[in-house]
Amino acid sequence: MKTNAPHLKHPESASEIESAAASWAARVDRGKLSFDEQAALEKWLGADTRRLGAYARALAVNAHFDRAAALGPGFSPEDFEEVRPPSPALHRRHFLFAGGAAVAASIAAAVGVGMFSTGTAVVTAKGDTRRIALTEGSAITLNTDSHIEPRLEERLRQVDLVRGEALFDVSRDPNRPFVVHAGDVRVRVLGTSFSMRRFDDGSVEVAVLEGHVEVDAGSGLHPYRLRRGERLRVFPGGDVRTEHVSHAALERSVGWRRGIIDLHGMTLAQAAAEYARYSDRRIVIADQAVGAMKVTGVYSTSDPLGFARAAALSLGIQATPTAEGMRLDSR
Amino acid sequence: MTVPSHERTQWLARWILPHEGELRTWLSRRPLVGLDVDDVVQESYAILVGLGCVGHIRNPRTYLFEVAKSVVLMALRRSQIVSFSTLTDVESLEVPCDAPGPDAIAAGRQELERIATFIATLPPKCREVFTLRKVHELSQREVAHRMGISESTVEKHMGKAVRLLASAIAYGGNSRIAASKACEDERATPEASGIRLGN
Repeated sequence: MKTNAPHLKHPESASEIESAAASWAARVDRGKLSFDEQAALEKWLGADTRRLGAYARALAVNAHFDRAAALGPGFSPEDFEEVRPPSPALHRRHFLFAGGAAVAASIAAAVGVGMFSTGTAVVTAKGDTRRIALTEGSAITLNTDSHIEPRLEERLRQVDLVRGEALFDVSRDPNRPFVVHAGDVRVRVLGTSFSMRRFDDGSVEVAVLEGHVEVDAGSGLHPYRLRRGERLRVFPGGDVRTEHVSHAALERSVGWRRGIIDLHGMTLAQAAAEYARYSDRRIVIADQAVGAMKVTGVYSTSDPLGFARAAALSLGIQATPTAEGMRLDSR
Repeated sequence: MTVPSHERTQWLARWILPHEGELRTWLSRRPLVGLDVDDVVQESYAILVGLGCVGHIRNPRTYLFEVAKSVVLMALRRSQIVSFSTLTDVESLEVPCDAPGPDAIAAGRQELERIATFIATLPPKCREVFTLRKVHELSQREVAHRMGISESTVEKHMGKAVRLLASAIAYGGNSRIAASKACEDERATPEASGIRLGN
């Protein structure tokens, strides 16, 4: 492979190269190059490997859109204007300065949006997150492998959390309460932001980021009032545990909105179980002593193997790739 | 000098381009030492063009990531100013696992919708030219005739369209959801980035 150190020898920026490459691709799209043009193209390409790469990429982009023919002659681009991806007119450096998370978040925002009113099940696959806007102004963000069913009625806004975890940003409307059901547990809110998760063991957790909510644990007793910074977990037998959580910790606990997972205070075994929610690539820990080791830090939800490797490095244990994912053992 | 063949261009469009957004997100979290993400992407495409054949590549996505990683490693080794820890950090990089990304799931209609949405973002004249050329499959000459403009103007619009679409694909391409997951930068707040679409 032959690559130069482009930034040292060639002051030409990547985006200048890209513009020139796009012009060449458009020229080739027009028709066969003349002998002179062909020579000029080859001369241009030969001066920097990045030019060849950018040119190949421009050709590929042009070819990618050949599939647009399948849209048919009735296609009218105006119909597709509302759901815009991040505007290509914005220069890419702006995105980079904004930080990776901002890019990702705005991209995610551009994708998982739909207006939902009623009777529609919304489901995410393992590893996906999705944000939906309800027609009345609230928004729900679904975490991995989750399922909700919103039912908006005239006097009541209801959502069933059938499976998984979701964050609810509820628009304030005193005349139209917002109620989330998770089995027997019911959360009633006016205007707030809170997250709710159903665990595999049957328990349900509610955490309030803003405002307050009322939780009916399904036991027929008084509902619990939760304020900002409070978290409550209802266990299958009816036991209820509440705790205060710092705002920073709460924000971290809903980091999955941005594709991050906070493993602070977890054991390696718990972290592996947490990752199993997001990916079928498994982290397998046979050794109990290894499983009990503590981990900390914030990781990407999409990279379980990267996490396993990092954990192995910092804990001094052995990481072995397997067909299913990664096995962790003591050395 | 290798000029990309028609077959290789098709292969890149079909198998590499859809993973570019994800690659960029992945790269943006790595120490690149003197290289831009754009540089690494361009170098990677150059390497893929230069390959003798691509028939043996079972998993183009993983291959793309490995190629990009080799570009980063070479730049690091060359720079000689890099600390040992940076180098081991990159060498221990795990190419992200093969989750069935949205590009794999989003077949047929959804992909067409994405293409339509991208075309819709182009400025009006540019969009008209591009639509006639790609959707109606007219040649650039026929587009010029139809619109009553010169062929060189059509070519300019096509160049602009390719450039805009290339950067749209880079930052909002077929791996949008994957990109949203692959991020661990905590500094940017969701509010600042406009994720609160419901309000």
